[in-house]
Amino acid sequence: MRELYEQLKRLFPLGEYAEQRRDLSFVTVPQEHLRPLLIHLRDRAGFTHLVLLTAVDWLEEGFFQLTYLLNDRAAKRDLGLRVLIPRDGATMEGIHDLWPTAATYQRELREMFGIDFPGSPRVNEEFILEGWTGMPPYRRDFDTKKFSEENFNHRPGRATKDPAKHMKEKLYPDEA
Amino acid sequence: MKIRDLLSPFTVWKNLFRDPVTIDDPVRQRPGAPRYRGFHKNDVKKCIGCGTCETICQNGAIDMVPVDGISAKDGDSGLRPRIDYGRCCWCALCVDVCMTKSLTMSNDYQWIDRDPDAFRFTPGVDRKKWDDAALGYQRPDDHRLTPEERVHMKELGPDARIGSFIEIVKGYSVEEARKEADRCVACGLCTATCPAHMAIPDYIAAIRDGDYERGLRLLYDTNPLPEVCGRVCTHKCESVCAVRHEGDPVAIRWLKRHIADQVPLDQYRAIVGATEPATGKKVAVVGAGPAGLSAAYYLARMGHAVEIFEALPAAGGMMRYGIPEYRLPYDQLDKDIAFVMGLGVKLTLNTRVGKDIALDDLRKRFDALFISTGLHLGRSTKVPGADHPKVFQSIDLLRRVTLGEEIFCPGEAIVIGGGNVAMDIARTLARLQMRKYGKVGVTLLCLETEDVMPADREEIIESREEGVILRPGYGPTHIETDGDRVTGARFVRCLSVFDENGRFAPRFDTADEIAISGAMVVESIGQGMDLSYLPDDLKNQIVFERGRPKVDRHFRTSVPWLYAGGDIVQGPDVIHGIANGHAAAVGIDRYLREGGTT
Ligand SMILES: Cc1cc2nc3c(=O)[nH]c(=O)nc-3n(C[C@H](O)[C@H](O)[C@H](O)COP(=O)(O)OP(=O)(O)OC[C@H]3O[C@@H](n4cnc5c(N)ncnc54)[C@H](O)[C@@H]3O)c2cc1C
Ligand code: SF4
Ligand code: SF4
Repeated sequence: MRELYEQLKRLFPLGEYAEQRRDLSFVTVPQEHLRPLLIHLRDRAGFTHLVLLTAVDWLEEGFFQLTYLLNDRAAKRDLGLRVLIPRDGATMEGIHDLWPTAATYQRELREMFGIDFPGSPRVNEEFILEGWTGMPPYRRDFDTKKFSEENFNHRPGRATKDPAKHMKEKLYPDEA
Repeated sequence: MKIRDLLSPFTVWKNLFRDPVTIDDPVRQRPGAPRYRGFHKNDVKKCIGCGTCETICQNGAIDMVPVDGISAKDGDSGLRPRIDYGRCCWCALCVDVCMTKSLTMSNDYQWIDRDPDAFRFTPGVDRKKWDDAALGYQRPDDHRLTPEERVHMKELGPDARIGSFIEIVKGYSVEEARKEADRCVACGLCTATCPAHMAIPDYIAAIRDGDYERGLRLLYDTNPLPEVCGRVCTHKCESVCAVRHEGDPVAIRWLKRHIADQVPLDQYRAIVGATEPATGKKVAVVGAGPAGLSAAYYLARMGHAVEIFEALPAAGGMMRYGIPEYRLPYDQLDKDIAFVMGLGVKLTLNTRVGKDIALDDLRKRFDALFISTGLHLGRSTKVPGADHPKVFQSIDLLRRVTLGEEIFCPGEAIVIGGGNVAMDIARTLARLQMRKYGKVGVTLLCLETEDVMPADREEIIESREEGVILRPGYGPTHIETDGDRVTGARFVRCLSVFDENGRFAPRFDTADEIAISGAMVVESIGQGMDLSYLPDDLKNQIVFERGRPKVDRHFRTSVPWLYAGGDIVQGPDVIHGIANGHAAAVGIDRYLREGGTT
């Protein structure tokens, strides 16, 4: 798929290229060039199908990575476009006008990561969470453990031991 | 309320006559996909009970529980993970993080039981039908949540180090230390193995938080010689580190050094805290090695007046007069000692007990005694020629080098012995030869073959890099002399060192003999103790066990006011001395508070 990348690179200012398999590669794209690139891929390069749109939270680095995975059915290959957007006030232009299914992904990302897609259909409606008011749960600073402890009971009779304390008890109870 | 809400329960009835969506299929099994994340399996022989799986589980589904037939031992807590499937969401984080790769998942997901508690069990211990399932999820080989390799430690190369006694290991920067600290999973298995039971995961966490004051306090809770131990400790802790199963163990020793290196001495007192009010009790310590210094430190903290009597011109024992400067620079040793002395401990140097002052005198002047005089008599091979004046004991030479004396150092030297002490003298001679002749001429021979040589692997590698020739697997038959000169020594191949019962009984092949030339021979095959300072009547009251004074868990001998520790009691390293000194201080404190009679 490297030739495709080389071709695209003549048309768009692309970032890093990573080939995961012969039929699956990823390219990093500056935010403002995503839309023209998608249109090009869809209309001229055979990538007619949007497989999925998902996100990764790079908390320490302060950005979200959006991945747009496209499929070229005829050539049986997938290309993922990666876009980095600032985590603060995360907002991204929607692509629901290019692929209507994108609206569903965008609604999910809005709910789970708190990334806004202004103008995307029903983007602010609840998706799978009901009555959620806290931090979007897929953000890495969301404390999953705390949430599960607060919301799900433990069956009675559970008990755990700390390895280091247990070893002291068993191996050197009398020492300092 | 809407009318629909009232009626909706009845709408369910319409489903009554439909085909069920779920199917009951007793005939055809419906196995999970090959990498399906089904019920867990655990290879409990491989599992070390580190509890990292419990820590990572975001659902609080795992408890670490004791298991019949698996007991706690070095490197294994004896606990095993028990999973509550009422909480498990099958995310497999526990499998991905497992430090030994013992934890996996079967592709079995079908199990019906009316007892909800049945869904809480210990994989690998409570037999399940999927225990032998071949398929299911396991962590792919290239997939790691913790870095396998330790942060590289900068060291002097062979060319730079051979001409001098400059410290070889450079120490971590703050960023490097934090990165290395990040590899620790805080299981605490190491704490049991450390003779001083240091709070290792806690001080590593302090590095991670950049809180060196907390780090230093934690070190001093159990170890008053952190600069020393951070450099030369035998670091048994690293041999049980959970991370070692799938990568390099965490560099615990270097991290300890990093904390102490980070804090200037003048801040120690404010950080570690002052001593308790004076008790009016007096304790004498004989010997200023690690055991004596540790006892003195903790006794002084508890408010007792301590005086150390030391035969040599400076404190430190083998840390100063044995361990060479390129492994432990004197200024770092001095820093540790200065803080102990800063607590008001009195140090009387150049005073050999039994010669310059009688033990009975000390007994009269002090309320209790701690003896820690170490092993300072070199053992001889006693082969013909071994009594020649050009045949030396390694510890005598090392001591004289520290004292600044010029030692006999010909261009060709022979070292006999395969332990770390032999390496220390071989590498010291190599440096002196390099200075004097511009080249190295040391041959080291020992009974053991290379794979079982007692010396550390790094010592073997580094001594070779420095030009020392190693001939493992040979024992001496005699030393060749010519008047007041030594000309060489003869050796025969050693077939085995120990007999079937593990007793020292070397067997030789006398047909396989080699001659090594050299103008000096250094014997480095072990040390013995000199307790001649103990008066006979006292010696008779002390119970000895295999040549060493027998002590209780507070390191008290059979004589109530006499405590002992370090190499004369346990050994073989600095950290055991420190642990002994600490335990003895606790014992002496109790003895003194109880009136000092029994
Ligand atoms: C060459 C060498 C290298 C070593 N390397 C390491 C290492 O890398 N890591 C490690 O952990 N361990 C190492 N060891 C072992 C370690 O040094 C000892 O286990 C440790 O120092 C023992 O402590 P100690 O307090 O019992 O005795 P010592 O350190 O031996 O101290 C005893 C002190 O008592 C003094 N003394 C003896 N008799 C009298 C007397 N009658 N009156 C007054 N003072 C007296 C001595 O002068 C000495 O200062 C090494 C040992 C040697 C010899
Ligand atoms: S699979 Fe996930 S939820 Fe289940 S025990 Fe392991 S870490 Fe916890
Ligand atoms: S992480 Fe692995 S080795 Fe550690 S307790 Fe859990 S199953 Fe055992």
